[in-house]
Amino acid sequence: MWKRLLLIRGAELLMFAVLLALPLAVQNNYLLGLLTLLSIYGILLIGLDVTVGYLGQVNLAQAAFLGIGAYTAGLFVTKLGAGFLVSALAATAVATALGALLALPALRLEGPQFALATLSFTALNVTVLNEMEWLTGGAQGLSLSRPPLFGMSLSARGFYWLCMALFALVWLAMRNLLASQWGRAFEALRDSPIATDAMGVGTYRHKVAGFALGSALGGLAGALYAFNFQYLQPQAFVYELTVILLLGVVLGGRKSLWGAFVGATLVALLPNLLSNRTLFEFMSGAGFLFALFAAIRGLLRKTMRPFQAIAPVVATGVLVVGGLLVSNTEDWRKAIFALMLFSVVVGLPEGLMGFAAKFLSRLFRIPDPPPPAPSQLDGVLPPRRAMSGGPLLEIRDLKRHFGGVRALDGLSTTVREGHIHGLIGPNGSGKSTLVNVVSGLYTPSAGEVLLRGQPLPRGSLFETARTGVARTFQNLQLFTGMTALENIMVAMRGNYRRSRNLPLVLLGLGRTEEKQAQADALALLEFVGLGADWRTPAKDLTYGAQRFLEIARAVACKPAVLILDEPAAGLSHPDMRRQMEIIGRVHERGMTILLIEHHMDVVSELCNVVTVLDGGKVIAEGTPGEVKRHPKVIEAYLGEVEAGEAAAETPAPVPAT
Amino acid sequence: MQKFLAILVTFGLSAPALAADSLKLAITGPFSGGSAPMGVSMRDGAKLAINEINSKGGITVGKAKLKIEVIERDDEAKNERGALIAQELASMPDISGVIGSVNTGVVMAGDRHLEEKGITKIITPAAGSASMTQWVGKAQDLPIFRFAAHDGIQASMVVEEAIKRNFKKVAIFHDATNYGVSGRDDLMNQIKKQGDKLQVVATEKFNIGDKDMTAQLLRAKQGGAEAILIWAIGPELAAVANGKAKMGLQAPLIGGWTLSMSNFIDNAGKNGNGALMPQTFIEDPITPKAKSFIEAYHKTYGVTRIPSAVSAAQGYDAVYLFAAAVKQAGSGDTKKIKAALEDLKEP
Amino acid sequence: MTLSIIAQMTVSGSLMGLVYALIAYGFQLTYATSKSVNFGQGELVMVSAFVSLTLITLGLPYWLVVLGGLFFGALLGLFVERAGVRLALEQRSEGWILLTIILGLLFFSVAENVWGRDDRPFPTPISQQPIHILAVDVTPVELSVAVGVFAIMGAIEIFKRQTLLGKAFDAVSADRDAGELMGISATQTVKLSYALSGVVAAVAGILVSPITTVGPTMASALVLKAFSVAVVAGLESGFGVVVVGMFLGALESIASFYLGSGWREAPGLVLLILALAIRPTGVFGKTLIRKV
Repeated sequence: MWKRLLLIRGAELLMFAVLLALPLAVQNNYLLGLLTLLSIYGILLIGLDVTVGYLGQVNLAQAAFLGIGAYTAGLFVTKLGAGFLVSALAATAVATALGALLALPALRLEGPQFALATLSFTALNVTVLNEMEWLTGGAQGLSLSRPPLFGMSLSARGFYWLCMALFALVWLAMRNLLASQWGRAFEALRDSPIATDAMGVGTYRHKVAGFALGSALGGLAGALYAFNFQYLQPQAFVYELTVILLLGVVLGGRKSLWGAFVGATLVALLPNLLSNRTLFEFMSGAGFLFALFAAIRGLLRKTMRPFQAIAPVVATGVLVVGGLLVSNTEDWRKAIFALMLFSVVVGLPEGLMGFAAKFLSRLFRIPDPPPPAPSQLDGVLPPRRAMSGGPLLEIRDLKRHFGGVRALDGLSTTVREGHIHGLIGPNGSGKSTLVNVVSGLYTPSAGEVLLRGQPLPRGSLFETARTGVARTFQNLQLFTGMTALENIMVAMRGNYRRSRNLPLVLLGLGRTEEKQAQADALALLEFVGLGADWRTPAKDLTYGAQRFLEIARAVACKPAVLILDEPAAGLSHPDMRRQMEIIGRVHERGMTILLIEHHMDVVSELCNVVTVLDGGKVIAEGTPGEVKRHPKVIEAYLGEVEAGEAAAETPAPVPAT
Repeated sequence: MQKFLAILVTFGLSAPALAADSLKLAITGPFSGGSAPMGVSMRDGAKLAINEINSKGGITVGKAKLKIEVIERDDEAKNERGALIAQELASMPDISGVIGSVNTGVVMAGDRHLEEKGITKIITPAAGSASMTQWVGKAQDLPIFRFAAHDGIQASMVVEEAIKRNFKKVAIFHDATNYGVSGRDDLMNQIKKQGDKLQVVATEKFNIGDKDMTAQLLRAKQGGAEAILIWAIGPELAAVANGKAKMGLQAPLIGGWTLSMSNFIDNAGKNGNGALMPQTFIEDPITPKAKSFIEAYHKTYGVTRIPSAVSAAQGYDAVYLFAAAVKQAGSGDTKKIKAALEDLKEP
Repeated sequence: MTLSIIAQMTVSGSLMGLVYALIAYGFQLTYATSKSVNFGQGELVMVSAFVSLTLITLGLPYWLVVLGGLFFGALLGLFVERAGVRLALEQRSEGWILLTIILGLLFFSVAENVWGRDDRPFPTPISQQPIHILAVDVTPVELSVAVGVFAIMGAIEIFKRQTLLGKAFDAVSADRDAGELMGISATQTVKLSYALSGVVAAVAGILVSPITTVGPTMASALVLKAFSVAVVAGLESGFGVVVVGMFLGALESIASFYLGSGWREAPGLVLLILALAIRPTGVFGKTLIRKV
């Protein structure tokens, strides 16, 4: 425990100490210039990593926010005579506001569409800066001098220390944030926006918050950029820069503060250092040897695909040979940069830090963090209280049409408190549509759903989840990149009070809640028998374990009604038995459950009441035994069969189609 | 990280021992990207001069002969790179001088660092006149020299030419870079200064890389412009000339020396005929000296034309100017060179 | 006067817009089969144009130059697929975004060093003399762009519908896994799509070079516009790109006349963000129903 903390925190401390002390040891303006740029890019890339790494979107607007911050600060200094602090704060504020504004339309988009929207914003920003000559000076640029801090003018070295201190502060604040419920929400919505909403966490608001936060850091970096270069021009903030920044984040390693730092080092320093021929030859040679070694090792152990092993060797080999043949490497600088980046991206897909983290933790034998002590289960999932057995969830004349298809055609039923209510029906009978309408994924065409007599929100997964309906998904919607424990923690909204307040989180005041949430989540994991797998990423769990985890996650929402959408689909027989046993135990604790299932034996064993659907309507309702003998049910499942004949063969096995 | 920094300090930053028989001259400019034709021509012109000097044994300083050692830096026309390169050069203890910079923004962002250290720089070829205005009212003994027909002078000649030819209505075209925008302002000032004889019917701008100038030309045509005063570089100049031909617009182009850039002449072809400019150097072997320079350039770099002949000539001349200053100063010390440049006796 | 100006602006703008559309079509081809696009497509346009120029200076006849250029474009497309895309697709990661950008940077630098940094004219047998049709001036070269764009897009669409290979292409586009089950190799189809996309880029390069001249930076502006067109029209919209491309071209041209040339791109960019916010899958794209 302590060793781990000591090593990780120690490395951070050491890095900042070295960086801060370096200008004292080496008196060199060039070094100072490079290091200042490094700290500015560090802040910028940490901001970009929020969208690229955590939200998982290709964000091409970061250069624009750098420019917006730089110009805001520049204008505050030149036009208003503001000091350091005021202009830096103004820059951050303006960038945050514009970031939130752009996020509103842009974050409805995904993938290439999002990339394009942000790219357009960058282009628009350059146009506006260029054209508003009366304010920005247009292409002529804006000259400013570095404003004083509290009345003191800053030397180049003083300014560098200030930048580095800000970088360290940003690092600390982001570490607090990313380790909190906020950081988990960011990651969760990257892996599955639908499940994030279904856990009542709120995809959209977190996306907007995350994007605005990243933009704010862009703005802060912009202010420092302006004070550093003291001259601004619109074309400094164009598409090319944005691509370079993106490369930095990915090369350094996503979702990692160290990654952002290494990325900043690469993109800020490498292009400048490549001008030095000796350094270039050294780097290409070392790169080649490393790639060769890694390739041979990877091929022998079969841990790498042949292309992945060979391509970096070829690329770095070209560098070495080219370095001997070409007389002027300065001309080929971009190609050299490209080949180096190519080798890293192909050879180390998790980025330099992703690789280094694994390597170093093995080298120093950094132990895994110990599991937290689990809470008492009764505190997390209270035992069954006295139940009224009254109506809890009422579905009234619900309709949902897709074009001409009437998937739900006036359906009514009531789920009583404390029951497991089964929902069966042949394929296309409207089961999934019903679940999707009730949980808010689809908007009903007509009719309503009441929870404890109050109508449920229409067409919003998020709002519905907040009112007390949790669900699982037929096709798993886990947060695949997160550990089992984190998957559950995302859903534990009720555990967090203070952590909703962003400034408190940034200051690191959410720790106690965090510990409690961990303990509670572990109790739930143990409840479904996954206690030992708490650190395993969800994507690496067995299929069965993934199904169990999804139930535990939904239970963690502490819902009034738990909807299980085919929880046994695709499970092997032993896993299915285990799943039924888990559902049974959840029910024992007083949970009201709506269970959609194909497997008749699951339904008959677990359910108090079963509703049978066909053609979007209820065709039968009653105890499992009653329903199985219902002629309409037999007809729906088996087609036209004589009722008496079918009734004789009890229990009629319903095919699991 | 520390290891990395250690290497960085060892290789990149440590001051190499001062070699007694050479002096260091840095050439900076955009050697890649959109402004590269000018940057590369300037660099190659300068290196041609350096080779000539070195093949003769170097510059005679006192009894010794000093060879010129070149440090090349590509600023990619990026201000940020420009600033860092200037910092790098400024922190080299033994540098004698700097030649270069094409883009005004790069000069604005970087030269501050050179000035602080008192390093002599000759700006060439094309950075707009705004690049010098930052020093107005500042240093008394500025080590920054600008070598190019002053844009203000060029602008005044352009306006004179238009007035001389009895044009009344003109359009001003310029690119959206610092160079173009300050050119536009110079032109406007000159028109006012020379008695407001020209009526500006349209002021149009375009971006670097724009090929379709129809909108701009239509506005000029609609305003009835008789001539187009233009401030831009080769490719966009050609695009304007070609667009003009397409629309059958007769108004001639009058502009700065960039109208002699070969990428204008080649790309506009016959559409470029009739363009007027004040010339400092054209790639036409008029004088024997120019002839030998052009031949040497073609031979050395295996090309049949110089991307930007004026830039190349200015780079070439800047080196000889520098060499003359070194000789006069009798030293490779950058401050002494500066003093010599201010009071140069032998051209 | 005003009407003829609008007509002139619309025509020259939309002819330029066709080039956007053609490059956008190249994006669509690869997106259909592999859900990836080549962010370095502009460099493919540029390198193919340079290669064609070299072939011209070697004295080859024009039709041979065109063939050579297209062949080279296809080779480049295959190279991009092999070096930048295939591994990422196998790993189901988004590494292709970065790798294609990086390959673009490499091509750019190589072109700068091989062919020089200068813009150069591209000789063409087609006349540059403007012809006057109904108060609008166009040059035959500009018209050749339109003809070429429709010819190559038509040819590829016919290929996709009429040949077995083309049908395999469509099948993988519709459902990769189902295609694989039917014995169609998705990898081969993706290769084919990248080769075709390279051909399209080469065509764009050859068509547009006489107008824009050939230089390392010739396509960097074009390709951003093309990307906008592809996404706004919808990455699976087929001929939708033509409509959107011509619209965007005309809009830019008219905006630069009425708002001032500096604002040329602004209306298009604003419309683009709005269009995406309203119809994320593109104006001509299909709306998706979320399924869970």
